[in-house]
Amino acid sequence: MAAATTTAGEVQLTNLVNYTLVKLHVAMGLIFFIIVGLMGFLYSLQLDGIYPFPGIEFLSPGRVRMIHTAGAAYGFLVNMFTGLLYWAVPRFTGYKVFDEKYLGGFMFIGLQAAVLITVVAILFLGQADNVEWGETPWWLDPIIVAWLLLHAVQFGTPILKASQKAPLYVTGWYVSAMLVWTPLVVFMGNFIPRFWSAGSGAGAVQSTFIHDLVGLYVTPVAWGLMYYFVPVIMKKPMWSHGLSLLGFWGLAFFYPMNGVHHFLWSPIPMFAQYSAVFATVAIEFAVTSVLINFMMTLRGSAEVLKYNVPLRYMYTGAIFYWITCFQCAFHVTLTFQKVIHFTDWVTGHAHLIMFGTFGMWVLGMAEYVWPRLFGKETMYSKGMSEGAYWLLTIGVIAMFVDLTAAGLVQGFDWIGLNPWIDSVNFSKPFWYFRSVAGIMMLTGLLMYAMNFYKTATAGKGLEAQLRNA
Amino acid sequence: MGKMERFPFVVLVAGLLFFLFADFISWALPIFVLKDIPMKKVSDLAAEAKAKNTSAWADFERIAMYYPEQFKKYYGEVNEKSFEKALRIGHHWYVAEGCWNCHSQMIRPVSNETLRFGIPGVSNTVSYPSEYQNELQAPVLWGTKRIGPDLIREAAVHNVDWQVAHLYDPQTTSPGSNMPGYPWYFEKDKNGNIVPNERGIGLLTYIMWLGSWEVKPTKEWALK
Repeated sequence: MAAATTTAGEVQLTNLVNYTLVKLHVAMGLIFFIIVGLMGFLYSLQLDGIYPFPGIEFLSPGRVRMIHTAGAAYGFLVNMFTGLLYWAVPRFTGYKVFDEKYLGGFMFIGLQAAVLITVVAILFLGQADNVEWGETPWWLDPIIVAWLLLHAVQFGTPILKASQKAPLYVTGWYVSAMLVWTPLVVFMGNFIPRFWSAGSGAGAVQSTFIHDLVGLYVTPVAWGLMYYFVPVIMKKPMWSHGLSLLGFWGLAFFYPMNGVHHFLWSPIPMFAQYSAVFATVAIEFAVTSVLINFMMTLRGSAEVLKYNVPLRYMYTGAIFYWITCFQCAFHVTLTFQKVIHFTDWVTGHAHLIMFGTFGMWVLGMAEYVWPRLFGKETMYSKGMSEGAYWLLTIGVIAMFVDLTAAGLVQGFDWIGLNPWIDSVNFSKPFWYFRSVAGIMMLTGLLMYAMNFYKTATAGKGLEAQLRNA
Repeated sequence: MGKMERFPFVVLVAGLLFFLFADFISWALPIFVLKDIPMKKVSDLAAEAKAKNTSAWADFERIAMYYPEQFKKYYGEVNEKSFEKALRIGHHWYVAEGCWNCHSQMIRPVSNETLRFGIPGVSNTVSYPSEYQNELQAPVLWGTKRIGPDLIREAAVHNVDWQVAHLYDPQTTSPGSNMPGYPWYFEKDKNGNIVPNERGIGLLTYIMWLGSWEVKPTKEWALK
């Protein structure tokens, strides 16, 4: 690992980080995670033919589903990532963020307000946009872009300062690239297809947005944080600096081109579709190089995973990440796409990446950070930690396997030209099972959140008890 | 190696250069290839529907005839202006309800999709670029998931009566369907009949417009 993370003493490091901002963002992220989980569960009930709120306009499944996706992106992930960046960025750069009190506070309130306005607008005002991950109403999008520019100022300042003295650590590359990508991506995806273009050309832009919000905001932040937290927890440097470089530049070059693979066989010109297929297969190599780096870092100390739950979250998520990307390289081929596009296969894939990978990563990181924020040594309950981990892991695997199977059943049934209703009926057992997996994931989340609450509120006596135990 | 690990280099090369290169391939080039296809506004679509006397226009008149009081109250006369208004309202609520979450609007040239979703009796009705080059496909409504069938040729598949019943209570027309009912697109008239309201008429018009550019109006329907 580069020198920047470990040169300064522990005392000095703690003064760099504003604990309140980390606490607030992580707590809000967790609250939104539970809410969007509930929303997803409500939507899955509809697929089972159960309507908890029939005839109530603002709880109609179609609207609830948009809260599920937009909330997962903006309410949960953006909050969690911002909180964890407030922890990691000052620590690996050695400089405070631009402004904690005013800009930090403003950004926190602004983000929560943006999410709540989105919820009200989609549920009650019927003001949704038909862009996946960009369901926020169009009049709110300029505010989100402005927020992202402030975000870039807040975290760009310490990274720039550190970069002038020494080469940046890997996390710094990922975060600095993200700070440029995200405002560009959000601007591109929300304005161009709506105001400056239409039809197939706009479809290409839109698909690029669908992919790049995940690819150019979530992926770089998540990998950057992984590169920070894994060596810190394991107390040893990454296996290969060269592989880190290869992974980063591979991701940076190929990832932005992937978008159009969401609309293969569409009226988008074929060369754009081929370039997306090529880039998606190429990205698999970049991802594998990153994964090899992480796995080799683990070599010789794998038993840590037995005791250290945060690290276990991270490595579980890393394996899910590799599975998703491997699956991706296959299902973007035109042959596979014939069968699985428009089926639940895609939904399973999305859940494995957003919940299984990025969800697990931020949950692990948050669990590492949380007790330290409150001056405690460990989480309140080891049992709850373990229980939540197993419920979440088994839940997400169950959902992924189930939806992938459902996708194949639907795809082949459609090719078979059976009556449409057959594919709905055949899918029902899979959808029931999906709701069960959803309950498992929700229970795991609630257990996890309970543990957080107890860690924050439990008295010192308990802490001492734990130490003696 | 050292240079590749500095903020300005990362921001300029990875952040801007690579991003713009990718966008050039997957965004600017496709737009350039498609630039000769005219871009239509909703008013153009309405004018076209009337001039070509498409099935959407006939269905719009049919709705006005079925629900004269409602129609008069919310839309006035049957003309290009009211058709445009209905298309806009229908499209707005189609998006707002997230209909596109379950119903795609794109027929791919694979897996016999033209047989399943195309116009009955017409073999080649794959989606083509020019039918999307209009204001109502900004952003496009291709969707990424199908739970219900594709709707881009819906005008050829079901008639207005079917759509009304389906929208109010989907199980009556499609037993076993897991689509929710949308009773808030309907209201009761003086005689206690359930009739579509302003949004309902808009949504019906929009749905019956989908694919109408490919459908010939039926012969027995005489325009007044």
